[in-house]
Amino acid sequence: MSFFSRIGQAAKGALLLDFIGAFGMGLRYMAAPKKTIMYPFEKGPLSPRFRGEHALRRYASGEERCIACKLCEAICPAQAITIEAEPRADGSRRTTRYDIDMTKCIYCGLCQEACPVDAIVEGPNFEFAVETREELFYDKDRLLANGDRWEREIAKNLELDAAYR
Amino acid sequence: MPKAKVNGKEVEFEPGMTVLQVAELAGEEIPRFCYHERLSIAGNCRMCLVEVKPGPPKPQASCALPAADNQEIFTASPMVKKAREGVMEFLLANHPLDCPICDQGGECDLQDETVGYGRAGSRFTENKRAVEEKFMGPLIKTVMTRCIQCTRCVRFATEVAGVSELGLLNRGEDAQISTYLAAAVTSELSGNLVDLCPVGALTSKPYAFSARPWELTKTETVDVMDALGSAIRVDARGPAVLRVLPRVNDDVNEEWISDKTRHAVDGLSRQRLDRPYVRIDGKLKPASWGQAFAAIAAMVKASKPERMGLIAGDLQDAESMKAALDLFRSLGVANIDCRQDGSVLGHGPRESWLFNSTIAGIDEADAIMIIGANPKLEAPVLNARIRKRWLTGKLLVGVVGEQADLGYKYNYLGAGPEALKAFANHGPISKERPMLLVGQGALNRPDSDAVLHLIAQAAKSMGVVKEGWNGLSVLHTAASRVGGLDMGFVPGEGGKTVAGMLAASEAGEMDLIYLLGADEIDTAKLARTFVVYQGSHGDAGAQAADVVLPGAAYTEKPGLYVNTEGRVQLADRVVFPKGEAKEDWSILRALSDDLGQRLPYDSLEALRRALLNDHPTFGHIDHAPGHASAATFDVGALGRDGVLADAPFASPINDFYLTNPIARASVTMAECSRSVKAARGLLAAE
Amino acid sequence: MDFWTTPVGWTLLTLGQILLVTVVLLLSVAFQIYGDRKIFAGVQMRKGPNVVGPFGLLQSFADLGKFLVKELIIPAGADRAVFLLAPLISVVLALGSWAVMPFAPGWVVANINVGVLYLFAFSSMGVYGIIMGGWASNSKYAFLGSLRSAAQMVSYEVSIGLIVITAILLSGSMSLQQIVVSQGGGFWNWNMFGGGLKNLPLMVVMIPMTVIFFISGLAETNRPPFDLPEAESELVAGYAVEYGSTPYLLFYLSEMSNILLMSMLLAVLFLGGWQAPFPTPFTASWPPTLVSLFAFFWLFIKTVAVFFANAMVRSVVPRYRYDQLMRLGWKIFLPTSLVAVAAVAGWRVFTSV
Repeated sequence: MSFFSRIGQAAKGALLLDFIGAFGMGLRYMAAPKKTIMYPFEKGPLSPRFRGEHALRRYASGEERCIACKLCEAICPAQAITIEAEPRADGSRRTTRYDIDMTKCIYCGLCQEACPVDAIVEGPNFEFAVETREELFYDKDRLLANGDRWEREIAKNLELDAAYR
Repeated sequence: MPKAKVNGKEVEFEPGMTVLQVAELAGEEIPRFCYHERLSIAGNCRMCLVEVKPGPPKPQASCALPAADNQEIFTASPMVKKAREGVMEFLLANHPLDCPICDQGGECDLQDETVGYGRAGSRFTENKRAVEEKFMGPLIKTVMTRCIQCTRCVRFATEVAGVSELGLLNRGEDAQISTYLAAAVTSELSGNLVDLCPVGALTSKPYAFSARPWELTKTETVDVMDALGSAIRVDARGPAVLRVLPRVNDDVNEEWISDKTRHAVDGLSRQRLDRPYVRIDGKLKPASWGQAFAAIAAMVKASKPERMGLIAGDLQDAESMKAALDLFRSLGVANIDCRQDGSVLGHGPRESWLFNSTIAGIDEADAIMIIGANPKLEAPVLNARIRKRWLTGKLLVGVVGEQADLGYKYNYLGAGPEALKAFANHGPISKERPMLLVGQGALNRPDSDAVLHLIAQAAKSMGVVKEGWNGLSVLHTAASRVGGLDMGFVPGEGGKTVAGMLAASEAGEMDLIYLLGADEIDTAKLARTFVVYQGSHGDAGAQAADVVLPGAAYTEKPGLYVNTEGRVQLADRVVFPKGEAKEDWSILRALSDDLGQRLPYDSLEALRRALLNDHPTFGHIDHAPGHASAATFDVGALGRDGVLADAPFASPINDFYLTNPIARASVTMAECSRSVKAARGLLAAE
Repeated sequence: MDFWTTPVGWTLLTLGQILLVTVVLLLSVAFQIYGDRKIFAGVQMRKGPNVVGPFGLLQSFADLGKFLVKELIIPAGADRAVFLLAPLISVVLALGSWAVMPFAPGWVVANINVGVLYLFAFSSMGVYGIIMGGWASNSKYAFLGSLRSAAQMVSYEVSIGLIVITAILLSGSMSLQQIVVSQGGGFWNWNMFGGGLKNLPLMVVMIPMTVIFFISGLAETNRPPFDLPEAESELVAGYAVEYGSTPYLLFYLSEMSNILLMSMLLAVLFLGGWQAPFPTPFTASWPPTLVSLFAFFWLFIKTVAVFFANAMVRSVVPRYRYDQLMRLGWKIFLPTSLVAVAAVAGWRVFTSV
């Protein structure tokens, strides 16, 4: 750094030019429209790819989609998914247990990428805070109930995103 | 030796090898579906195509093409790749895309090869074919739509298992594998069909949908369901053993295992003893280890050595038997026996109770006389080996005993000891490598000493034992037997045998009998005796017991097992014992403290050192002595001359599927037993 | 004799004054916090507190209620007495400083002639509250925070002292009321501009001194960009990390009231205090109460302006590193203010002859 530029920098510092500039900018921003969203009453837009709370989907016939292939369990980087399977009475391959430990889950979405039948999905719901840790250990019933509740939104999101897959 | 060039690399090979084998010598992997080293060559999957020079200007099926001297083989040329991709596309044209629900997923040859040679998409716009499912019994689940017609299963059934129950029907697109009569596959080796099937057409029915291969912890160990000690790999997930697969061990089981070995595993999680019990007021009540030990100690203190006894079962590891033996000998007890079936072996030279020809020796034998055994039930894998030798046409088989279907033709020589007399003074025979395969059916009779003497005379007379060959082969049925005999787990001076102990117990002359996993005895005779049962399953022994000590099953402890050849093998722990159960040797070690006869080992290593010190044969891991001592073995001295009974020899195994506590606890084995009886009934009805 | 000149009357009067100042001060602090947060939010294009009361004006009172009803937790191994004494000392010293502050002509609780020294004494003792709090918490983070805080306050007090000397030199008094009176008659008489037209050349010294006083005031009150004692990324809440509930409220209250004090002190020392920025002969005929209110209005405006600058600095300037903080204090501000004292003293000596 040359001598004169050092002098210049010292002068700039001593005259608080940077601060004055920032001060002006702060004032300008203060006048700008606010970005605050009044959360419980207003909500921001969500991408169709938003990865929120998990859900297990069903076919229109009411048959659960999951076929216990265990690909989601295998790909899960946090090892949050536990699956046990056995043949159902009709001989089809179904899970007897499908647990997601939501305290382990990192919401990476690899499970829904791995799923060959679009059974496990991360839905648009992000408001599932609970009061005890145990409530975050989701079992199959809970996940299927989520699927039933959010099916319309999930189906719409999948449709919107289908073109990019 | 001829030479060939594989992708420019020169290799020497044995004359008669195929191009595929030569390429493997050079380290090139050739994809294949129908080819299998231990089956005949079919050449119908066409996946193994390679380019050879000199040769026709088109790819050749390497599995069926004999390699020639100075041949150039190309396994990765563009032509080869294109050809294999074409084959793969045809294979996949009719293969359903149901990998997610297929149990073969993750260990499927077709999946693996598709990664290398498959197209991204399908050009096949027609409907895929669908094939009806076939019924193949309680062990094999079929999804025939997935079948790629490699015919490995057909070849296995006819060539190895010796049951012509499978076949390929129709041609072209209509080709399908089917069972004749739509009956269950009755072979005791049927489980191997599942291993052979390169796709998910044949999968294990009991294991259906229960786990993926990547979830399993795989442990290499040995089997205890019969006395062969087959090499197995046990797959477990968490605390549950889910399946058993064979490992390759050319000296013992090649790469087959019996259905009992493979499918009795569900017995490992049923009927288990997971905590000590003590009988109070006629009922077994849960107790602590301390209470159980105190009850035993009180009984032992009040008793005398000659009024106590120890019986070891068929599935015990050598270490626990050694610990029990040391403990009871230190108490002065002579009533010690490991021969629940009443066999007379155990005195005399070690050769007298070994399968001296070795199992691999069957491949060299040119005559076998099977005496009092049904190898198909007692050791199905060994029987397959006999059949393999028989198929070469160089083996003459004779049978004295049951006239059962063994899967090969034999000369029936008689039913009982009478038939043997003819051979006692037969004189030398013209065969180079004759074998006398002596089963337990001949050795567990009241007159077995005389029978053994007769057999010994026949062996001597016919020249079965000679320099470089010892054809006297005893086929055991219990995995623990040879180990027990090797360490002298037999009655001491003035001691009673199992039968003696039972008789004494019935007469009220016994105070305490310690059953170390012994269930194959008539427990009704133990009613008047204080019985301690140490074992893994709540079977006959535990029901008769006054104190139950929960032990470990064979998958739950590291241990040594000696197979019928005298081959010492190391078994490994797959999962931990259930509940409060402990490894058997440590239970005995802890009990020894309460009995005031502290055993001098605190670790398995120390115990093994003691075992090795007392019985050096246990140090030869994975080694079968075979004919090593044939020159000094005086075969004629075996047994004692005596009165022979007329009764015919009977195999000790009535129901192949229900021979031990684990198998009896298994639902699959019960199902198999039912199914096979039904199938036999169907055949008999025709 | 008037009742208010009797000892009883005087005591009642003084107590009333103290009560009035304290109540008004506490209310001011409440809205100061609200303003601080609003300005901070505004710069970040947020709305800030807007839920409690109209425009969120009652936010501070909600927070107060929250603090009061929270459970009082004393850490295991803490020195209970010192732990509880520390915030009390802090808040007593913070509120006590206001006794000498001149709000308007005659509007001062204690018009003592060494008001400046009094202020110095009180702000120096403020360190005790912090050191005691940090030490009594029995937590290494709290202790580290308190040491940082003490070192920082001590360092900047030196330059603040020297700067105040320049103002004292210009006004010729240590009574705050007198200092304000001396700056009357128009903004050109403010100490910031040298305190009178004949001293106008001193503007070159005094304007930088005002700025340095402002910056030192930030450091003295642990405000960003000098909030190292409670830097979130290192020490979280600094010396107050083990505090919660009312004791924390007291610390917070004393901190905020010190900020307000610093803002007002700057206005008093350099911006003419309650003096209007122009000559006010028209007030001569007004009733005294109105005149005082008029004067208070100007002090209010000035204090708010300084505090606004203070809050803006918090919003726009990134935090200093600790070594930068020390370098600035000891190697730049201290020599500069020393030179300034010499210059102002010299000017006074040579121009007063």
